[in-house]
Amino acid sequence: MTYNFAFLDEDTKRMLRRSLLKAVAIPGYQVPFGSREMPLPYGWGTGGIQVTAALLGPDDVLKVIDQGADDTTNAVNIRRFFARVAGVATTEHTAEATLIQTRHRIPETSLREDQILVFQVPEPEPLRTLEPREAETRTLHALADYGLMHVKLYEDIAQYGHIATSYDYPVLVDGRFLTSPSPIPKFDNPKLDRSPALMLFGAGREKRLYAIPPYTHVESLAFDDHPFEIQCWEHRCELCGSGESYLDEVVVDDQGTRMFVCSDTDFCGSRRTEAQA
Amino acid sequence: MMQAAFADYVFDSQRTFRELLQAMARPAQPRPLPVLPPSPAPIAPAAMAILLTLCDATTSVWLQQPEEEAISHLRFHAGLRLAERPEDADFALISDPASMPSLERFAHGDLRYPDRSASLIIQATSFSSSPCMQGEDGRGSHTVASTQDCATPPQPSPASRGGSNPAMRFAGPGIRETETLAIDGLPSDFWQQRAAMAAQLPLGVDLFFVAAQHVVALPRTTRLLES
Repeated sequence: MTYNFAFLDEDTKRMLRRSLLKAVAIPGYQVPFGSREMPLPYGWGTGGIQVTAALLGPDDVLKVIDQGADDTTNAVNIRRFFARVAGVATTEHTAEATLIQTRHRIPETSLREDQILVFQVPEPEPLRTLEPREAETRTLHALADYGLMHVKLYEDIAQYGHIATSYDYPVLVDGRFLTSPSPIPKFDNPKLDRSPALMLFGAGREKRLYAIPPYTHVESLAFDDHPFEIQCWEHRCELCGSGESYLDEVVVDDQGTRMFVCSDTDFCGSRRTEAQA
Repeated sequence: MMQAAFADYVFDSQRTFRELLQAMARPAQPRPLPVLPPSPAPIAPAAMAILLTLCDATTSVWLQQPEEEAISHLRFHAGLRLAERPEDADFALISDPASMPSLERFAHGDLRYPDRSASLIIQATSFSSSPCMQGEDGRGSHTVASTQDCATPPQPSPASRGGSNPAMRFAGPGIRETETLAIDGLPSDFWQQRAAMAAQLPLGVDLFFVAAQHVVALPRTTRLLES
């Protein structure tokens, strides 16, 4: 059985491409699109896959990561999917990729202007847990009325003494639209601000696309007396010794022994290769 | 006789789209389009490349100069619907910018759906960009003029009506510091019209300018700085 290049038919790609251009033109605004059924279930990155399919050309080099890792099920499946339906080259090295599809991380290696980052997004609406009605959240965006989110962050402070949101931490894009950065750790939020690379977001089940253009001001919400802070660790990566990357805590045996390792496998692997050389 | 469209339907539109996406993501930076399909007058080949890449039976297009041959070409190759009035169009092709309708007339979207707004493809006489901000290929300042284009018949010298515009500085999302660009062949009050719409953000229209084989985009968020 053969497919059209990159699986989707050309009408669908054109629809996605028109929506992506509007998404870039209105930074942070969620553009509705006609999400298609994909050969993976919702929740496995169908939004990101459709965005990637609309972008992909034969000269692209694709990298796919899941929580920073190139070798986890979701990443391996999506990479193999596009190698099969588009015949594109794939890589695990951030610097070699022209297109990077990601679930829940931004690579540690700085991105370049000629790279595009595609995020898989489960819930594109940052206000959804606070206001379930779509008609209502759409009005709040129209009026730029984001008081609900500030109250939520304030309640965190009142209850816990600090803002307890640690991932999917809400951002204001270009001073206008409240936007979900997807469930990346707040550690990665500073990388959204004035990024040289274009960042595109796809939510397949919720049928929304949005974008953060390069060099766009992205502000993580905070208060004057409770400024935005990222996570930090008392540990270093036990494999590569990095003290500035995002660390995963991994249980390594039945006795509950733990170790901290970089979540970005390419970053960690490259550092270890360099150290050996 | 009917002219051909993209020789390689799938990959020509994919390559064109990637340039359009980067053009929209990096406003005021001209980019060369990879493929220029044959195009009947008054549609410039670069404008035709954009129409073939983005338009189909689900989009409506308003042609400023609805010539019979251009209409049948677009209907045959893209199957697109023609809009009777500028306000009904998803895309508008402006082939004679000096006499184009006011930007106010095109769809701006509504506050709940600002994406339901028009994209204009404007065939400029020429545009020239700033030195040193030309992106990865390291070219310096250059000028792109549509008169170099042998595939379209020469326009009746729109430069004599629009005049030569001085370079303007732009800022906004997608622009690192500022970007300098001059676009020739626009109506004299074009920038006043566009500035008047900025008060309605996030409503607005998004602009693609083409000249020869180049495209440059100005999304609604790009601000013209005082010189």
